[in-house]
Amino acid sequence: MLKTSSLLTGGAIAMLVASVFVPVDVAGAQTLKAVKDRGSLTCGVSMGLPGFSNPDDKGVWSGLDVDLCRAVAAAIFDDAGKVKYVPLNAEDRFKALQSGKIDVLSRNSTWTMSRESEFNLSFAAINYYDGQGFMIRKSAKKDSALALGGSKVCVQSGTTTQLNLADYFRANNMTYQEMTFSDADSALKAYDSGTCDVFTSDISQLYSERLKLSSPNDHVILADVISKEPLGPAVKQGDSQWLEIVKWSHFAMLNAEELGVTSKNIDEALKSQKPAVKRLVGTEGAYGEQIGLTKDWAVRIIRQVGNYAESYDRNVGTGSKLGIPRGLNHLWSEGGIQYAPPIR
Amino acid sequence: MTVFRRLTWMSLLLAAFVVLPAAQGFSQQEDMDMDVVDQPGLVPDESVQLPPQFQRQVVLYRTNEPPGTIIVHTSERFLYLVQGNGRAIRYGVRVGREGFQWQGLLKITRKKEWPDWVPPPEMIKRQPYLPRFMAGGPGNPLGARAMYLGTTVYRIHGTNQPDTIGKAVSSGCFGMVNADVIDLYGRVPVGTKVVVRQRPSF
Repeated sequence: MLKTSSLLTGGAIAMLVASVFVPVDVAGAQTLKAVKDRGSLTCGVSMGLPGFSNPDDKGVWSGLDVDLCRAVAAAIFDDAGKVKYVPLNAEDRFKALQSGKIDVLSRNSTWTMSRESEFNLSFAAINYYDGQGFMIRKSAKKDSALALGGSKVCVQSGTTTQLNLADYFRANNMTYQEMTFSDADSALKAYDSGTCDVFTSDISQLYSERLKLSSPNDHVILADVISKEPLGPAVKQGDSQWLEIVKWSHFAMLNAEELGVTSKNIDEALKSQKPAVKRLVGTEGAYGEQIGLTKDWAVRIIRQVGNYAESYDRNVGTGSKLGIPRGLNHLWSEGGIQYAPPIR
Repeated sequence: MTVFRRLTWMSLLLAAFVVLPAAQGFSQQEDMDMDVVDQPGLVPDESVQLPPQFQRQVVLYRTNEPPGTIIVHTSERFLYLVQGNGRAIRYGVRVGREGFQWQGLLKITRKKEWPDWVPPPEMIKRQPYLPRFMAGGPGNPLGARAMYLGTTVYRIHGTNQPDTIGKAVSSGCFGMVNADVIDLYGRVPVGTKVVVRQRPSF
């Protein structure tokens, strides 16, 4: 009697648990289905930021953030072109995600705690580690930010950049003279004209701003990174399968780089006997199927978009106008901190 | 730790498969290089600037290798000299063409300014018009400086062809423009650890 009742109670609890969790799961896993039914992925991007998300004169989008969207589309449709891009300004970007106007936001957005909690969203990965840095004239012959004491620094006012600048110089017992400007362009112009010795902004910005100077090659960007600006794609909370799809699309590109798999040698990789390569390309295991995709999900990404190094070089690295060194965005095994959990 | 162990292991592999066969038949004291693109006698225009990414620069680089170590990333065409404090001096290099790339750990065993060039017999066979000996100087394919790696035929050396930086054309040597190789030469002593990394194969 006692046994039966406890079994009954256990069963009732199990059913309760099931009735609570199963519907949530079904309701939550709707993004992939909605995307498939629609036949395309809707991706929130910037209004135009070279290297990250930028349309050409024919309206074709490219960039590191755009490649993330193309990777997700490739994994789902085996067609990286099935993406509808929605340009968003800084103010609207998170609301567009909340309202369901976009499936994923891939728009050089910094991952912070309050953004996740206030807007009910989850950042899926960090596809670009940015941070504040310094640009100086080559002729100054300095190779460390710690040697900038006594400098005149041009900075945009009312930004975290200005606050970080103050913190950094104070923490390192250096004096400096601050020249503030209401917008980035004026600050850059003042630096170019010689008003300042130093120009400070996020490092990715410094590389694109340098292209605007009268003689870009006379300026260097120091290696020092003095703040954390982790940029990455975000999704709406509540659909864990969708979060995994976006997250693992980025990780697939990183793992491919680490294993030496590229868009050019992907057919060779399919014949590999190395266990880690086999798991990546789906000749062993069913990892893609476990997140609602196919066995060859990563092959589709690598073939059409490339691995992380290919995407980085093409958009912001050595193969692009920006020419940003890998720095923090190197693989963890090659001098940086880009690190993907293994596929296994 | 794992990285270090792997490197040690790789250096053993290297000794077994790369270094020994390559060293056979070559006198270790001669200055040789087998680059097929060599143009002996060409005096480089040293005022020509490299593309920005291949210009010498200090970059962020985290590693467990101690300051003073040279790390070559073959697939990137960069040579890093570790500085400590999370940074390295990065130089653009030309690397071995396909089939002539290698990886492992070696040490700089000898340094030479304006090295002489003695093309090896294999190369003379392919390109009989080449000189048998060429004294060091501005038209020499080995450029202004050479740093010898272990007992192998591989070197880090200068070049009289700055336009080959960033390309995979050599027979396993790392070539740099003369200004860069002179800079590096002045920073590293004999005994410097040189780690060469390649894209993994499958």
